[in-house]
Amino acid sequence: MTPISRHFSMAIGLILIWLFFAFATDNFLSPRNLTMLSIEVAVTATLALGMLLVLLPGMIDLSVGSGVGMIGGIAAVLIFRLDWSAGWSMVVGMVVGILVWTGMGALIAKQRIPSFIITLGGLLVFKGLFWKIISSETVPVVAGGQENALSILTTYYLPTWAGSLLLVLLLALMVSLQWRKRKSRARHGFPLEPLPLTWLKGLITFQACLLAVLVLNQFQGIPLALLVLLGVAAGVHVLIQHTRFGRYLYAIGGNREAALLSGVPIDRVIIGAFGALGLIVALSGYLQTAYSGASTTTIGNLMELDAIAACVIGGTSLSGGRGHVLGVLIGAVIMATLLNGMTLMAVAPETKFIARGTVLALAVWMDIRLSKS
Amino acid sequence: MVAALRVEALTKRFGAFKALDQMSFVLEQGEIHALCGENGAGKSTLIRCLSGLWPHSSYDGQIWVADQIAHFSGIKDAEKAGIAVIYQELALVPDMTVAENLFLGAEPTRWGLVQWDPIYQQASLLFRELGIELDPTQKIGELGIGQRQLVEIAKALMKKSRILLLDEPTAALTETEVETLLRILGQLKAHGVSCLYISHKLDEVLSIADRMTVIRDGCTIATLTAENASKAELIRLMVGREIDQLFPKRKSQVGGCVLQVQELTVTHPQTHEPVIKDLSFEVKAGEVLGVGGLMGAGRTELALHLFAGWGNRTHGALVFCGKSWPETDPHRSIHAGMMYVTEDRKGQGLVLDQGIGFNISLAALDQVGWFLDVDQEQTINSNFFAQLQIKAPHLETPVQALSGGNQQKVVLAKALATHPNLVILDEPTRGIDVGAKLEVYALINAMTDAGKAVILISSELPELMGISDRILVLSRGRKGGEFSASEADQEQLLEAAMCHA
Repeated sequence: MTPISRHFSMAIGLILIWLFFAFATDNFLSPRNLTMLSIEVAVTATLALGMLLVLLPGMIDLSVGSGVGMIGGIAAVLIFRLDWSAGWSMVVGMVVGILVWTGMGALIAKQRIPSFIITLGGLLVFKGLFWKIISSETVPVVAGGQENALSILTTYYLPTWAGSLLLVLLLALMVSLQWRKRKSRARHGFPLEPLPLTWLKGLITFQACLLAVLVLNQFQGIPLALLVLLGVAAGVHVLIQHTRFGRYLYAIGGNREAALLSGVPIDRVIIGAFGALGLIVALSGYLQTAYSGASTTTIGNLMELDAIAACVIGGTSLSGGRGHVLGVLIGAVIMATLLNGMTLMAVAPETKFIARGTVLALAVWMDIRLSKS
Repeated sequence: MVAALRVEALTKRFGAFKALDQMSFVLEQGEIHALCGENGAGKSTLIRCLSGLWPHSSYDGQIWVADQIAHFSGIKDAEKAGIAVIYQELALVPDMTVAENLFLGAEPTRWGLVQWDPIYQQASLLFRELGIELDPTQKIGELGIGQRQLVEIAKALMKKSRILLLDEPTAALTETEVETLLRILGQLKAHGVSCLYISHKLDEVLSIADRMTVIRDGCTIATLTAENASKAELIRLMVGREIDQLFPKRKSQVGGCVLQVQELTVTHPQTHEPVIKDLSFEVKAGEVLGVGGLMGAGRTELALHLFAGWGNRTHGALVFCGKSWPETDPHRSIHAGMMYVTEDRKGQGLVLDQGIGFNISLAALDQVGWFLDVDQEQTINSNFFAQLQIKAPHLETPVQALSGGNQQKVVLAKALATHPNLVILDEPTRGIDVGAKLEVYALINAMTDAGKAVILISSELPELMGISDRILVLSRGRKGGEFSASEADQEQLLEAAMCHA
């Protein structure tokens, strides 16, 4: 099955889920709720895109949930207890994220310890460190009634005019990129997608974006968190599709032996992937902590599983070598929607777990069935 | 007396290719019967038929076990009929004791509990009977390869096997271990057990076998008795074929020395036994150095040591392109202008899910820049795609959809894209059809015309002789001989390959 038809079937699944919640609740489609949902998607999807970087070479990271809590906690403590500026606190957290994850990557690559084990250890260690750092208390991200660089991540919205301008710019960018890609493919004799199909896909994308901006503008505008996600998504896409580093990620996951004999510096690439993930863990930590308003012991709980689920639903292979940014984004929207919708329906927490787990298993099963036929 | 095993007109086809062609021979009761043939003569296929791995419906002809036609549909059936295969790769559990392994899957139980005492008693008894000096309570992991082999044989006898198929049983053994094994086999013979003994080591074969059957290209050539067989006669029968005009002549200009190897000794990374011993040779620009030898002679290990730093170099001076050549890794080797094309293209050569272009440029991405320049990459890919005439709709076709020959061309294209000075080709024509072989040979000539040096590792003697300028024959890691291609003949090469065996 081509990625296109896979995305198509996932999009259909997503629409069904949305329809269900639209009928089952009163306010799922309200601009306010959809704005909240977009922030929740931003948190899940950002982390999932980081996870994609290590899943591609056939690794896994179970420690990202604890990491989200820990780094959010570091920033909150620096700001609220030590009176640092929010900006510097966040820089420190990002440096910690990059260093710690680079270290784990080095252990995995150089010492040949399975990533599952190292990051399982990380899950526990970071959780413990996190609770020590915040003394198992609740540390607000900002003093009451004020705001700072951390808190605005989930409270700032683009003014409506800026949102509309952004839409126009994005559209222009997409059209020019598509145009260049088509020309380049034609020059090298690659098969081209029929032009009407390209137009149709462009039109649907445009309408979806337009609708999203219109809805978000009805509440307060495009949330800053969504822009962070947009930036991370663009960055990860360019990294894995247009750089040597990205090529190597796919090669290592596809056939590690062949990659080695082709001169791929496997250790360095894996360490690099974990380092980049560390940065993204820090960003997700800020988004999640800011969204909660404070760092508390439960921040980041089970987020690693949401991230992995989003990747897998989006067609990423756990054995490596396969996965795309667009798929991961759709997977993250599905996971975030489930949680948001069920919260609106006031579903009991225990039922939420069961439903999310079932959907994950179902989605992967469907994917396997579809790709066989 | 009825023969223990009789093979009659056995034919096994893979498509149009006949791996076994009307093969026939008889294994008498209590006989050690050797099967001799070159690599690819059909020995492994025969073993698979006899052990039930290929079910009886998949081949033509008959296999008789004692006075019954065998209808094996799986390995279990062959075991029941009393046939046991002792493989080169041993199938024992390292963390269990010798006796536990012997009884694995057949432990005597009472009320569901394993009866340990009888297990150890019976194991000791069996060892005493066979004259094997082994402690049944020892862990397999603590034993050497030779002792493990004896455990395997004991396990087969435990299952009341009357026919043992030994596939290269001494390939990894030391000389004393070989002696022990041969002595045990002699004892088994006295117990009426029949052995089909497959080995490249002709001296060994001549010393132990009662009779020997030579096979070539899937056919039985002759069966000799020990009295009227000689090493020279066996070699003549095993080779016995003329080289046809499969190999295009080369007129490359031979230039300066590209790789010089002096007294190289390399030890195995785990066992620390020497795999390459005291080996010296050189390769010049524009020439093909053929490397021959039997399986396990250390050819691939030599290639991987040169290219990827396999094993530990304990001695030796190497010079590549005028510079001293240390133990290295593929990344550095490719930068320095050395490239290796693996014998296992699916396992180590290709990223099968990905497209042709992805695979061709994979080792040459340094030329394209960190941020990939699509146009530049496609230019490289399209060039080799056209030059090697890879038959596929376009560069994005996944390589797993290609035929073996075209996959091999992709691997070769990947190697050429790195602009190497020295290319090491490991069995480049294994498993591809004759047409594709010809193209590969032409490509090798094109490489030497461009001034590259080529090391060609091949198990096919005609190929070695047809394509190489010089031939280096390895024998158990040592130089068995070096020949110029014009003066070598197959008997000489085979003899050189076996001289240290």
